[in-house]
Amino acid sequence: MPAPRIIVIGGGLAGLSAVIKIAEAGGTVDLFSIVPVKRSHSVCAQGGINAAKDLKGEGDTVYKHFDDTVYGGDFLANQTPVRDMTARAPAIIDLLDRMGVPFNRTHEGLLDFRRFGGTLYQRTAFAGATTGQQLLYALDEQVLRHESDGRVKKYEGWEFLSAVLDANGVCRGICALDLRSMQTRTFPADAIIVCTGGIGAIFGKSTNSVVCTGSAQSALYQQGAVYANGEFIQVHPTCIPGDDKLRLMSESARGEGGRVWVPRDKNEKRVARSIPEADRFYFLEEWYPKYGNLVPRDIATRAIHRVVYELGLGLDGQPMVYLDLTHIDRETLNRKLEGILEIYEKFVGDDPRDVPMKIFPGTHYTMGGLWVDFHQHTNIPGIFAAGEADYSIHGANRLGANSLLSCINGGFLAGPNAIAYATSLPAAPGDGGHAAELKRQQEKNAALLSNPGTENPFKLWRELGDTMTKHATIIRYNAGLAEADAKIVELLDRYRNVNLSDKTQWANTSFAFARQLQNMLHLARVIVQGARLRDESRGSHYKPDFPERNDAQFLKTTMATFDATTNAPAFSYAEVDTSLIPPRPRHYDATA
Amino acid sequence: MATSAPPIPSHASVRGIKKVQPLRPDQGHSFLWRKLHSLSGLIPIGAFLIEHILSNVEALGGPAAYGHQVRLLNSLPQVRVLEWTFIFIPLAFHALYGLWIALRGRATVNIYPWAGNWGYLTQRITGLIAFAYIIQHVWRQRFSGVMLPEHPGAAFAKVQHELHNPWMLALYIVAMIAISFHFSYGIWLFAAKWGITPGTRARHRFGQLCAAFGTALCILGLASIYAFVGNPKYANAPADAFAPPAITQPAPVNPPTGSTNPNQPGEVR
Amino acid sequence: MATAARTIHVEILRQSAPDAPARTERFAIPYRPNMNITSLLGEIALAPITADGAPTTPITYDSNCLEEICGSCAMLINGRARMACSTLVDTLQKEAPNQPIRLAPLSKFPVVRDLAVDRAVLFENLKVVKAWVPIDGTYDLGPGPRQFPQTQEARYPLSNCISCTICMEVCPQFSESTNFVGAATIAQARLFNMDPAGSVLKADRLRALAGEGGIQECGFAQNCVEACPKQLPLTESISITGREALLQQLKDLFTR
Ligand SMILES: Cc1cc2nc3c(=O)[nH]c(=O)nc-3n(C[C@H](O)[C@H](O)[C@H](O)COP(=O)(O)OP(=O)(O)OC[C@H]3O[C@@H](n4cnc5c(N)ncnc54)[C@H](O)[C@@H]3O)c2cc1C
Ligand code: HEM
Ligand code: HEM
Ligand code: SF4
Ligand code: F3S
Ligand code: FES
Repeated sequence: MPAPRIIVIGGGLAGLSAVIKIAEAGGTVDLFSIVPVKRSHSVCAQGGINAAKDLKGEGDTVYKHFDDTVYGGDFLANQTPVRDMTARAPAIIDLLDRMGVPFNRTHEGLLDFRRFGGTLYQRTAFAGATTGQQLLYALDEQVLRHESDGRVKKYEGWEFLSAVLDANGVCRGICALDLRSMQTRTFPADAIIVCTGGIGAIFGKSTNSVVCTGSAQSALYQQGAVYANGEFIQVHPTCIPGDDKLRLMSESARGEGGRVWVPRDKNEKRVARSIPEADRFYFLEEWYPKYGNLVPRDIATRAIHRVVYELGLGLDGQPMVYLDLTHIDRETLNRKLEGILEIYEKFVGDDPRDVPMKIFPGTHYTMGGLWVDFHQHTNIPGIFAAGEADYSIHGANRLGANSLLSCINGGFLAGPNAIAYATSLPAAPGDGGHAAELKRQQEKNAALLSNPGTENPFKLWRELGDTMTKHATIIRYNAGLAEADAKIVELLDRYRNVNLSDKTQWANTSFAFARQLQNMLHLARVIVQGARLRDESRGSHYKPDFPERNDAQFLKTTMATFDATTNAPAFSYAEVDTSLIPPRPRHYDATA
Repeated sequence: MATSAPPIPSHASVRGIKKVQPLRPDQGHSFLWRKLHSLSGLIPIGAFLIEHILSNVEALGGPAAYGHQVRLLNSLPQVRVLEWTFIFIPLAFHALYGLWIALRGRATVNIYPWAGNWGYLTQRITGLIAFAYIIQHVWRQRFSGVMLPEHPGAAFAKVQHELHNPWMLALYIVAMIAISFHFSYGIWLFAAKWGITPGTRARHRFGQLCAAFGTALCILGLASIYAFVGNPKYANAPADAFAPPAITQPAPVNPPTGSTNPNQPGEVR
Repeated sequence: MATAARTIHVEILRQSAPDAPARTERFAIPYRPNMNITSLLGEIALAPITADGAPTTPITYDSNCLEEICGSCAMLINGRARMACSTLVDTLQKEAPNQPIRLAPLSKFPVVRDLAVDRAVLFENLKVVKAWVPIDGTYDLGPGPRQFPQTQEARYPLSNCISCTICMEVCPQFSESTNFVGAATIAQARLFNMDPAGSVLKADRLRALAGEGGIQECGFAQNCVEACPKQLPLTESISITGREALLQQLKDLFTR
């Protein structure tokens, strides 16, 4: 029997990890990515990657990492995969180290670690403030190596449109669009691994990259894949508000000692540095003395929201607070944080070594994603998922520096599991559904290109982003969520009237975007309806009308499926694996 | 050599779809040729230039001193062989290969007006000046007119005659400045490319050293030009400093009509 | 001040396909504070109409991260190669007041469409110089070799290269006639030569860099190091790698 053919979609950390495992096992793999893999969103990750190696003599253990992750995720994560991931973490860091990642070092030449949110241990390995870049490159270099050996074929500049499913609903390949020639084609595969990352674009402005639209996940959801925990969206407490995007100011700024504060007096007129300590309100340190500035992100975000909107203490009445590093010496800052400080300097124009940064929360990460079992297998046979695109690890809130880990871990699992699945796969009935899927997609393309409407897809997108940011981020009300859902329905309706100003058949980016937009709209409904239904507060999901966690009713995974008859999501709930750590109340304030 | 990148390609132009090829290992020998080019500029040619300028400085001592120096050099054993192996062949190679290098570059100081980029462009322009200058210079001084290897005493007069032409004088001055720059910046380039001065500070300090050296070389060169045309003492040098005195003609007592030169009453210019 | 009324004038050199003729289109875009070039291009996508009121198509260009880390968005901005996402409109207006902002694709790479170019040659070059650490496998082999902070600090700046190709675009030696590999690849080769495990391929990398289009083509114009948005120590890398490549050639001469 010939070696199985695997297709990996997405060249971020998750996708590359899967590719490497498959190539190493002697398999061949086709790697699809919209952008050259080296330009994937993972390159943006700044702060670091977690592993309980306890090189600081603090008594950190894998169990504590496991516990912090489950507790940080407000017990919504399935515990078995989290335990396994945290146990594999130290070996993953060693591997990355061997691949040449320039992790920061101690005097003795060992790996250096720093502290991140939601833990009391220095558990985060880092390469300056560009860890994601370094990890992505290290994996890409290994893929380059396998590519030169002929094991990997890259399709960069190709967009995944849909899975090819045979008569039995088994995946037999993918349908993809060449973003230059605009040619649509199907590619056969015995199994596919979806590693298409985040969905930030649904919120308009976010910390994510441009291609993080969630379009691929949504397409699969519309083909029958279950989308889980969609309502859990992480809003990162410290972002630099910008005209075109929200740029992240990594948690590592606080990990290295950065302090968040506002002037106690809302009419304060003095410049930041001349305000004496007594007149500064270090609200995180006052409210959460144990964790201080390093409370988990959902907590910090809500605290900033409260300071700005309830206490009216935003800087100059604007939705902003200070993130202050000016008490740390320049040399240390340059050695450990230069990458992110430069971002602030470049985009704002002030030197954060001299003046406190002005920051505000911004949409950052989706804990939800394609539902997968403990082998990264979705509910559609032959479709695997890993990375930010799956839902598996982070429960209701992700801890900083756990995502890079979960991406690599997920890819490492998905690769071999996909091979194992594919080797025992019976032959496809007929052509495996290729002709039918190609026809379906080509018809969709033709319809879109010739649509005689009046709506500009970019305008619709802007309206979607505004609605989502307003109603489905830090604070959620049922009325607002219902309004948002109605708005999305309206947008879906107007989408039918969309008109492309560019109807050419060469490198037509608005065409590709319009296709993504429709998928974003469908996924947006999963988010707002899921949030509407979850009448409790858990992790990142916070409803002032239901401020408490409700385990009896909602210690459950939200499972959304697409109902083609109503063109809307349908919801059910699945049990969460809490077999290892019994759920306990989650508090980071003084009493914890 | 284009001195500027296409600013923003002109509106109507169709851009060629040629593209830069990836690196081709194990092909060609341009590495060797480039290193030889680099080295030739420094060792035989550069060393010759220093020697040559120091020799020319002897002219400050007058026609006889200069003549002695030329005679000395021409009396080296196997001088013709030395001349060809250490001067003409390396120079021809450096010049022609340098021309080829210069023609393939695309200097862009109009868009990127940075010091290093100016250096790059100037190295090429001074190379071209050197090219033009050296061809005519070697032809006129070495291979035509009075043969100096046989008549070293005529050297001073031969050069002086040349420099009496104001165009030639200007050319010599320009070439002297250009070649001093080319050589001293060349030393700096050599050290940078061969990894002798990898650090930014090392390069900076070495740059100052090279600048001082280049300036000194240039001053010496200009001084020797001055020696031929500026010093009234040797204003009218004998055609051959070593010829027997009997043959020397006394200067006419009365200046011919139309003479404008009070120092050289006998010469009509 | 009535900033609301201000408009930004933008001139974009466009080309609908690799072999299509280039043309310039002008746009007038309402000013907002803190705009960058990518947000200008976003505004055009929202309302694809030229300054003369003629309908046109949104501009094709590469971008992803919008924070100068993915390396996608290099283009010629007012004639100079820069990153579109980190070039602020305010800076340009200070640089050339009352002038339109001119955008054009990088000039040394084949145009795909409008401002998008094909930079695959850099990735090819990285493959040729084996820019990776040859590891045995991804299974658990324990910690890597110790590496002192001094080594890490020397390697880290080189690892920041975002493959934007600006160093190649601005290099007077990078052209179709030299086929010079460019500074980025040389710096990456050095990065892996400095890695304790990556250094086993050092000789291969140095030999590759002495091939046609290799390090010898550098004329030390130093534009690369001036223009590199990530401030890589490129001239230092060229200098050191130049020496090492030469020593490798000499060694090969006598031992191979
Ligand atoms: C600014 C920022 C900083 C962060 N810092 C940290 C940190 O310090 N630590 C941490 O642990 N996490 C961090 N994160 C989170 C982490 O970076 C991401 O969750 C992670 O990189 C996701 O990786 P991925 O492999 O799942 O997907 P991505 O890296 O997003 O890659 C997605 C890939 O899929 C491709 N793709 C997408 N759609 C399609 C399609 N339809 N067809 C074909 N290809 C497609 C893309 O081209 C891309 O190659 C940060 C996130 C942000 C936004
Ligand atoms: C002050 C300026 C200069 C003067 C007066 C001068 C004079 C001379 C003379 C008299 C000769 C003939 C020597 C002979 O035939 O033995 C000569 C030869 C030559 N000169 Fe110059 N020169 C000057 C500058 C230069 C410069 C700047 C160069 C550049 C490299 C140069 C390169 C040469 C070469 C290559 C030869 C032939 C070498 C040889 O046959 O030995 N000269 N020069
Ligand atoms: C005759 C015409 C000449 C031409 C066309 C010429 C051209 C050049 C060029 C183009 C370079 C730059 C090479 C590069 O950057 O890669 C160069 C370098 C150099 N030249 Fe010349 N040159 C000439 C004469 C000379 C002379 C007379 C000298 C010495 C006195 C000289 C010494 C040097 C040196 C030392 C270098 C630096 C070597 C290096 O690049 O590493 N050149 N030359
Ligand atoms: S070296 Fe600098 S300029 Fe060159 S590609 Fe890398 S980041 Fe860009
Ligand atoms: S600009 Fe080019 S010539 Fe060399 S020093 Fe930089 S690569
Ligand atoms: S968009 Fe990533 S570098 Fe500009």
